Amino acid sequence: MATRTEAISPETINPSQRSRSLGSLTIRRLFKQRNAIVGLTILTILLLIAVFSPQIAPYDPELVLIGIEDVGKRESPCIHLLGCPEDQPQHIMGIDGNFRDQFSRVIYGTRVSLFIGFSTIGLAVIIGSLIGAVSGYLGGWADNVIMRFMDVILAFPSFLLAIAIITVLGRGLQNALYAIAVVNIPVFARLMRASVLSLKEQEFVAASRALGASPFRLLFARILPNAAPTLIVQATLSIASAILEAAALSFLGLGAQPPTPEWGTMLGSERNQVFTSPHLVFFPGIAIMITVLAFNLLGDGIRDALDPRLAQTTKS
Amino acid sequence: MTKKLYSLIALLAVASLVLAACAPAAGDAGSAGDAGDAGTSGDAGSAGDAAFEGTSVASESCDYGGKILSIEAVDALTVVFNLCKPDPAFLAKIAFTPFGIQPSEWIAETGGAGELLEHPIGTGPYMVQEWDRGNQIVFTRFDDYWGEAGAAATVTLRWLTEGAARLQELQAGTADFITNLAPDDYATVIGSDDLVFIPQDNPNVLYLAMTNTFAPFDNQLVRQAIAMGIDRQRIVDNFYPEGSEVADYFTPCSIPNGCEGDSWYEFDPEAARALLAEAGYPDGFETSIYYRDVFRAYLPEPPLVAQELQAQLAANLGITAAVVPMESGEFIAASTDGQLDGFYLLGWGADYPHVTNFLDFHFGSGNPQFGDPFAEIYGPLEEASSIADLATAAPLYAEANNAIRDLVPMVPIAHGGVAHAALATLDGAYYPPFGANEFYRMSPTTDDPDYVDMVYVQNAEPISLYCADETDGESLRPCQQVVETLLDYATDSGDTVPELATSCTSNEDSTVWTCSLRSGVLFHDGSAFDANDVVASFAAGLDASSPYHVGNTGGFDYFSYLWDGLMNVPAE
Repeated sequence: MATRTEAISPETINPSQRSRSLGSLTIRRLFKQRNAIVGLTILTILLLIAVFSPQIAPYDPELVLIGIEDVGKRESPCIHLLGCPEDQPQHIMGIDGNFRDQFSRVIYGTRVSLFIGFSTIGLAVIIGSLIGAVSGYLGGWADNVIMRFMDVILAFPSFLLAIAIITVLGRGLQNALYAIAVVNIPVFARLMRASVLSLKEQEFVAASRALGASPFRLLFARILPNAAPTLIVQATLSIASAILEAAALSFLGLGAQPPTPEWGTMLGSERNQVFTSPHLVFFPGIAIMITVLAFNLLGDGIRDALDPRLAQTTKS
Repeated sequence: MTKKLYSLIALLAVASLVLAACAPAAGDAGSAGDAGDAGTSGDAGSAGDAAFEGTSVASESCDYGGKILSIEAVDALTVVFNLCKPDPAFLAKIAFTPFGIQPSEWIAETGGAGELLEHPIGTGPYMVQEWDRGNQIVFTRFDDYWGEAGAAATVTLRWLTEGAARLQELQAGTADFITNLAPDDYATVIGSDDLVFIPQDNPNVLYLAMTNTFAPFDNQLVRQAIAMGIDRQRIVDNFYPEGSEVADYFTPCSIPNGCEGDSWYEFDPEAARALLAEAGYPDGFETSIYYRDVFRAYLPEPPLVAQELQAQLAANLGITAAVVPMESGEFIAASTDGQLDGFYLLGWGADYPHVTNFLDFHFGSGNPQFGDPFAEIYGPLEEASSIADLATAAPLYAEANNAIRDLVPMVPIAHGGVAHAALATLDGAYYPPFGANEFYRMSPTTDDPDYVDMVYVQNAEPISLYCADETDGESLRPCQQVVETLLDYATDSGDTVPELATSCTSNEDSTVWTCSLRSGVLFHDGSAFDANDVVASFAAGLDASSPYHVGNTGGFDYFSYLWDGLMNVPAE
């Protein structure tokens, strides 16, 4: 009898085993999504570039080349393979207004942008999920107060709110990160609350409750793991938005400050040269576009892979 | 009976006419503080009438510290300036646009503000037709102008902040003249057959300032180390257009007495690091470089120069400086009040061709922009400012320049070259060293000679058109087309030439200047120009107790600092 009870107890089910099966199922579905494969490939390359920036970039991104090489201000790209004379130093994305190698700056910019994307959304996911989980689980007046506060934040256009926060905190990359994280918190809080509200009435949660699981255990061991897929999809898509927002803030001079090689800053500082030195805005612009595209494609792919209805459609 | 009635009526009519004729003379005779009320201008023919009642504006004494004791309209065409002390730059100063003359009635009618800010009434060759805020100002030719009439029937003044956008307008033929070419566009303009490259020989200076009330800039050794640790030649060579040069003195050498004394320090990073170590900062320190991202002849690309300085300070001195762009108005207010705790990049363009315009303003005893003023600098400057003879004043300016070099309130970086551009079809396109180019001297080639329109594009919108209370060049330029001054600057030098005054002569010690005014000059409203208009225009700016001393901000900065302060300032 005791053996039988153990066999059906939820405590005896190995969660890692279950999630592994769900995870492997998701990954299998993910790799059937062409968009996701493209997104994942680009993202992998970007991650490799970020990790190996010092090896890939030919110059220190902050090195001023005056007196070191015979280069001109805002000089056009020089690529030996494309006919640029061998006696001229090769700068495949040209030279910026401060005589720095643009290619090295774009390469190092990958680090900054990925860091911005992961750190801001990571922070927003953690804080937002906690707020949403507590709010949804407690319900009642606590839920009302917390969610109305989140509604107030959501009522502001996120970019304007980020600018307002930076105005208070002061300009700079660190404050821009806080601002972007804050404006993204309500999205995850609402998402998590909705998941908690639907999951807490599910039978497996009720069964755990009946077996005496504490609220903490119910929330973090039963409900949160089941809400994770939705959060992952939203987080992936939000990283793209966060990178764009950070670039826009830096473009306006509110985010990363010179000489930090951030793509938005690079665009902003050379925006007046769009006709005379288009390479100085083209390459950072393309870099932003590719990175955002990668996260969007991956996010779409994960969403499709996790959507049971789409999975059914695929099967049929 | 009837005859008696007619006689009575005739007598009453004659009496009425006599009273009417006497009415202006019955007004206020004019005194300090209400000069704008007094005196009315009749028609042009009335100038010089015996009935003219001259007005004046005066301070009770010279104790207020300013240079002007009184300005009097002694007759319709004569104005006398009584000075507290000789001012060798007097003629150059009164030729400056903020001291333009408007009708006393218009100043009174507007109360010194309101309509006066958007619709100045002057005697110039063009008058303001319409200011479409945020878009353009349209000027129309003043057909009763006393001088050479403008060729263009209308002139449209527009503004674009981006240099590339201004050049595009010119290349597209939708503008006849653009100001402030971006350095990167020089080659494009010079290489084009359709465009004309117009360099301007305007004396200016860019400096890296420090406020000595903040550590570590309160340490003279630190300031000297910075003076030696910046490769200014590298900045000029790489970030300035042709025609620019390294500033070896604060004042450009084209200004007489500007370059007396010793030249600036040579670039010597080793010596600089040794000095910094001696000052207690062997590894440098952390600070900021503040600047405003606004194109100026002395600083064509502010972010690039700020980043270059950031790189040099780090490499040469181990100083870590964050680059901090600020909003223009906030930056000017904070820097001029000495509130910036780091380095800041600021400059100065000559308003008039005299060394006092550079040195006295920046290093005077009342200017807190570098922190506590240095007596070693302002002492000789105050003494020199009363000496008209250049050679006599030269040793004092040498003493002041040597004190600046020794005390290093700032590091002079560059004298920037500046250039403008015009369509090749714009006849007479030019730009003078001082002031702005005048629309009436230029004429676009057109198929319709009966109607010529010129489009002029500058780099920012004017703040207001009451230039007695403005300081930015973008406001002074349109003002100059509308409102004239007693004297003007020559088109090719800093010499003064007659404008509303045919001559200004002084007594032996240069404390009394008598200006003879041009007769037959009309304002745009049809009223005649006379000496009372000169008094009223100066009174509105100079006399703090005048009811018309209102303006845009009420600061009247040029009146205040060019004449060493406002008179009759009410006690707080």
